[in-house]
Amino acid sequence: MLLSDKVTGGVVAVLGGLAFAYGSQLPPVPGQQIGPSAFPMVIGAGLVLCGGLIMLGIGHRFEEVAEADLASHTAPEQLAPLPAWRNWLALLPPALLAFYALVSETLGFLPTSAIMVLVASLAFGARPKLAVPLAIIAPFVINLIFLKLLRVPLPGGILPFPW
Amino acid sequence: MDTVIKAFGLVFQFDVMIAIVASAFYGLTVGALPGLSATMATALLVPVTFYLSPIAAIATIITASAMAIFSGDIPGCLLRIPGTPASAAYTDEAYAMTRKGQAETALGICLWFSALGGIAGTLSLMLIAPLLADVALSFSTYENFWLAMLGLMCSTLVARSSPIKAIAAMLLGLLITCIGIDNPGGVPRFTFGSTDLLGGIEPIPALVGVFALAEVMRALTEREPPKIENRRLGSILKGQWKLTKEYPKQQTRGNIVGIIIGVLPGAGADMAAWVSYAMAKRFSKTPEKFGTGHPEGLIEAGASNNASLASGWVPALLFGIPGDTITAIAIGVLYMKGLNPGPTLFTQQAESMYALYIIFILGNIIMIPFGIVMIRLASKVVGAPRSAVMPVIMIFCAVGAFATAGNNLFAVWCVALFGIIGFVMEKNGYPVAAMVLGIVMGTMVEQSFVTSLIKSDGSILPFFERPVSSVLAAMTVAALLWPVFSWTRDWLRGRRAVAA
Repeated sequence: MLLSDKVTGGVVAVLGGLAFAYGSQLPPVPGQQIGPSAFPMVIGAGLVLCGGLIMLGIGHRFEEVAEADLASHTAPEQLAPLPAWRNWLALLPPALLAFYALVSETLGFLPTSAIMVLVASLAFGARPKLAVPLAIIAPFVINLIFLKLLRVPLPGGILPFPW
Repeated sequence: MDTVIKAFGLVFQFDVMIAIVASAFYGLTVGALPGLSATMATALLVPVTFYLSPIAAIATIITASAMAIFSGDIPGCLLRIPGTPASAAYTDEAYAMTRKGQAETALGICLWFSALGGIAGTLSLMLIAPLLADVALSFSTYENFWLAMLGLMCSTLVARSSPIKAIAAMLLGLLITCIGIDNPGGVPRFTFGSTDLLGGIEPIPALVGVFALAEVMRALTEREPPKIENRRLGSILKGQWKLTKEYPKQQTRGNIVGIIIGVLPGAGADMAAWVSYAMAKRFSKTPEKFGTGHPEGLIEAGASNNASLASGWVPALLFGIPGDTITAIAIGVLYMKGLNPGPTLFTQQAESMYALYIIFILGNIIMIPFGIVMIRLASKVVGAPRSAVMPVIMIFCAVGAFATAGNNLFAVWCVALFGIIGFVMEKNGYPVAAMVLGIVMGTMVEQSFVTSLIKSDGSILPFFERPVSSVLAAMTVAALLWPVFSWTRDWLRGRRAVAA
């Protein structure tokens, strides 16, 4: 997930350019010089400028100083690199949230979140001895808190909260 | 006096007391878990505050954030892993004390001087805010615009990263607030035909994504922190009074620096701790002892970060401009509860303001006994397996955002998206705090910017003509140019070193 400054700076600049172009197309408010287009255009121009400077590597030295500072304050064993595939594992939580958004209405809160907790817990390296009870108890407790104490109606689905 | 009695009446109610005690334990626990920040603790609380009375809601935010900032010191002391970024500055020092067998003194310093710092910060809030409220009443859109800009620029200055990347992150936050129809023309902007986007991106799901979900994601890519061995700790508070008498200058300086950094819009507890630790070392008679387990820096920085927490509420309450990421969340809660930030808050809702001060003082007093309990339990709490804590936090992210957004699943998508954005940005040196402040302040910046331009008929001169606004403008420009100045200075120094 670590990208070069050229790539991230490029993304920032392109985003700024698009915002500027989109902003300039917005209809003006009749009788006024300044309307809804002014702000996106100013921001877009700023992003293009920043993106360009980042691509040129300006300001990178500040990052090196901050990184060295942080590294000197952290235990060395925490800094040892992990295998690269672990980086991709980071996409699991947002994927599970997307899963929640897609199926919770039909499946219900309890089963959906039980699946999410089980998967996430195993991904964190838990043994089934811990992950399975956690996946049963945690959704139940969270449902209790939100439904009874905070009165948020969580989706019942195929397995509604029993009381 | 009548208002003060009323304020006590507001605070000493059953639901408020329960809220304070529960959020104290919650804040202490979350802060003590390595990798979970005080900001995350606060962000995850927002859905709960939704369903509380206004005073109870504010009480939970204040108590939980103060406790979390303190208890972030616990894993720092015992494991050399800062629980919150605000403890990172002096983690080394605290851990060195632990290695010398002075764990209880180190933890005691963190607790005692945090509580005192918090109280000093509260006193400054009580003193400064009403004074500034009078000044703030005379502010026009020009001043508001520059004040917001100053806050945004400060947030990029304190980012401890490339200032250009920080500005880019801040602009990205502002761009996100352009989404929706809440703009001067009332036209749909950047909605791409989606009805969900018409209302814009709510700050809370974005905050939860960036500060909570991204942390869960990061934890998956990092190794599990080591366990704390179950050690017997002696008396925590023993010797603290002696240290207070020995280092009054350090403590006062820490408090003052913390208060000033807190009042500055955009800069908060993290920055206060770094600056104060550096200052303690610079003015110390024995700078060589720093890093070897010397209490001096620990006292100054510990006094500083908790002091900044309370004074960070000054710009938040007066102008709706967050002092740091925690008050950024608090502002959202204030609006939700009908306590809209502004100078009139101090005249029309005076008893609520007094209640807020009382909660701050109360929170910092109960921090001492609760903190001692937490330190004693630390080996159990910090030892809680990540594989059990993180999945639960993930569920809270989903349900919490869902509940605050009026039971809308779109919020869950927002959390997922902002989790990815926050994770990728942080990995590549783009400070997410700057983006979040952009998101929180964007609508206000645009409103004051466009209204000012309409008033001036498109001319930018009036932005610099009024006395207060010209001072604020100069400060903003100085904040913008500061990195250039510091870079040139280093460059010149480097050249001189090469020449010599």
